[in-house]
Amino acid sequence: MNAPAIRLHGVTKRFGDHTAVRDLDLEIPEGTICGLLGPNGSGKTTTIRMILGIYGPDRGTVELFGGSPDHRRRRRVGYLPEERGMYRTMKLLDHLVFIGEIRGMRPREGRRRGMAWLERLGLSEWADRRVEDLSRGMQQKAHFIATVLHEPDLLILDEPFSGLDPINQDLLESIVLELNARGATILFSTHLMDQAERLCRRVCLISCAEKVLDGDLREIRRAEDRGDLHLVFEGDEGWLATPEVATATRAGEGWRLTLAPGIDPQRILARAVEAGVEMRRFERVEPRLHEIFVRHARTGDSR
Amino acid sequence: MTRAVGAIVKREYLQRVRSRWFVIATIAGPILFGGIAVLPIVLSDAPTSDRLVVIDRTGELAGAMAPALTGIGYQVERVDADADLADFIQAVHDEEVFGVLVLDSATLRRGAARLVVGSAISPMREVALRQIVGQGAIATRLRDEGPELLALLGGGVLEVDRLDRGTEVESADFALAYFGAFLLYITLLFYAVAVMRSVLEEKTSRVIEIIISSVRPIELMLGKIVGVGAVGLTQLGIWAVSLVVLAKLGLPRLTAARPELEILGELGSVVPGVGHLALFLAFFLGGYFLYSGLYAAVGAMTNSDQEAQQAQAPLVVLMVVPAVILPGVIQNPDSVLSLWTSQVPFFAPVLMFARAVSGAASPLEIGASLVGIGLTTVGVAWVGGRIYRVGILMTGKRPSLREVWRWVRVG
Repeated sequence: MNAPAIRLHGVTKRFGDHTAVRDLDLEIPEGTICGLLGPNGSGKTTTIRMILGIYGPDRGTVELFGGSPDHRRRRRVGYLPEERGMYRTMKLLDHLVFIGEIRGMRPREGRRRGMAWLERLGLSEWADRRVEDLSRGMQQKAHFIATVLHEPDLLILDEPFSGLDPINQDLLESIVLELNARGATILFSTHLMDQAERLCRRVCLISCAEKVLDGDLREIRRAEDRGDLHLVFEGDEGWLATPEVATATRAGEGWRLTLAPGIDPQRILARAVEAGVEMRRFERVEPRLHEIFVRHARTGDSR
Repeated sequence: MTRAVGAIVKREYLQRVRSRWFVIATIAGPILFGGIAVLPIVLSDAPTSDRLVVIDRTGELAGAMAPALTGIGYQVERVDADADLADFIQAVHDEEVFGVLVLDSATLRRGAARLVVGSAISPMREVALRQIVGQGAIATRLRDEGPELLALLGGGVLEVDRLDRGTEVESADFALAYFGAFLLYITLLFYAVAVMRSVLEEKTSRVIEIIISSVRPIELMLGKIVGVGAVGLTQLGIWAVSLVVLAKLGLPRLTAARPELEILGELGSVVPGVGHLALFLAFFLGGYFLYSGLYAAVGAMTNSDQEAQQAQAPLVVLMVVPAVILPGVIQNPDSVLSLWTSQVPFFAPVLMFARAVSGAASPLEIGASLVGIGLTTVGVAWVGGRIYRVGILMTGKRPSLREVWRWVRVG
């Protein structure tokens, strides 16, 4: 078994009086896709910067590919920061070649691969145009190319798909999955919970500088499952007002029920039969990542 | 690592050298510089004709003046001593001759002569003619006193005997000292500011975070400074070569075609020798590394051009001081003030160069100042590198001096 791609142990980082990250443990095995989730200002970017050795931690240890994040190991990382930019007056392909070069690629190789990626993402006509002439969406794609050009073993993507239309989002998502299938480890932070749910095998949720959840997404969802039900029925909803139902909220054409502790869903089905409503749909729902996020992030804030 | 730094140097260099602005600045620089010195002379007056009619009523003055008049470009036409001035007025009107110079007993007595011309003549020509007339009168009156006395009119010869350095003949190095020091000042400021702008551009465009995820900040800073400095050397190299070509080939042709522009020949003396070029190079590099480190730190501390303008004020003062006291230092290169100010590392690039070219600084002094610049550069790079490292990732409000100091300490 290889060393994990990323391992943080007891990591704390302070800026003046502000603690950006507190006592964080995080382990991301090779080959996985992990979502780093958390509200704005929760410490995601600081965590990423420590993984990349841009900052050193005040306490704790950071390991990248089983060692300190020196520049040799950092070369194996493709980093797409949230605050990203390009040299505006450079030609697009020149810019890509330059980014490849500072990560150890030969210019000729960078040019060849850069051109191949530009073609794949439909930007080949823009290769010799200045970066500033590109639209925002094109620049986003160009950033993505710069990140993957040197075939990194670890991709760290901070809000990678913001500003992209759904078609290009799907395109980049499929490329991320493809790179993962070829062995790349992927850590990405996002505010789009749907996307995280679609892509991630693992998630780590940070709130107020501390980790509140970490692990396999399926296991987390199972652990977070409170036996909620999704019902669609014809008839009066008065029967829902029973102590056995903790909350009932409208959800689309039906209802979302959270049950009081210890109540078997079968009891609810029996109640419906008693009330004489016509049941169209009756299903257990696992909590959505969105809900889990809101639940825990809020807890974090009030602490 | 070397490849990454190499890529940064290459990018900085090519992006700049290929830019339109580099071409414009390289061409416009000397034109502006030279133009200020040369254009007024060239444009002053091109005479419609170079024929000068001389009516010499004394019969002895014209002979003494003719060679000098020919020397400043006139074709002298001596006419009869009793010729009528009115006969030539029409020719002056028709611009067939430039003018008529009338010499008489008053000229011999007190150097007063009369010049009839079609329109205004330049002050420079007037001065030249007045000198020739005056000296011609004196020469005529002293003719019997012997040739030695006449030699005095040539202005004499001064042999300077310096006790600290032995005998040497005063040369035209002052022009070179002034010109070179000024050029140093301009280029140092220009390229140090270019480094600052480059840092700022990476910061404001947010490309910085991508770069330093693969490259250490100090490597980025170093690569940037070397790349921009190489652009400076390229530009100076182009200027140096064109100056030499101009002075060795262009100037002789110009003065041959337009003898009255002979004064431009003086510019030939501004052409530096190898030693002077080496001095210039040494002080340019020293000053550039010193100041670019400071300016890189300023760029890293700030978030916009306006902020940078304000934050660089202390540095501008550091650079302007030597420019202000430069004339004094060139006039009195051995004064106590010159001695000490030229050893201050921040002033030395401009002032020590000027003193060295003026011949006032000993090799030891020059070496000491270069060592001083070098040591200060190391200190600046250390402090600047720390400020740079923290500053490039800082956004938001401009840090206070206390915060910057904390960056340096914690770095």
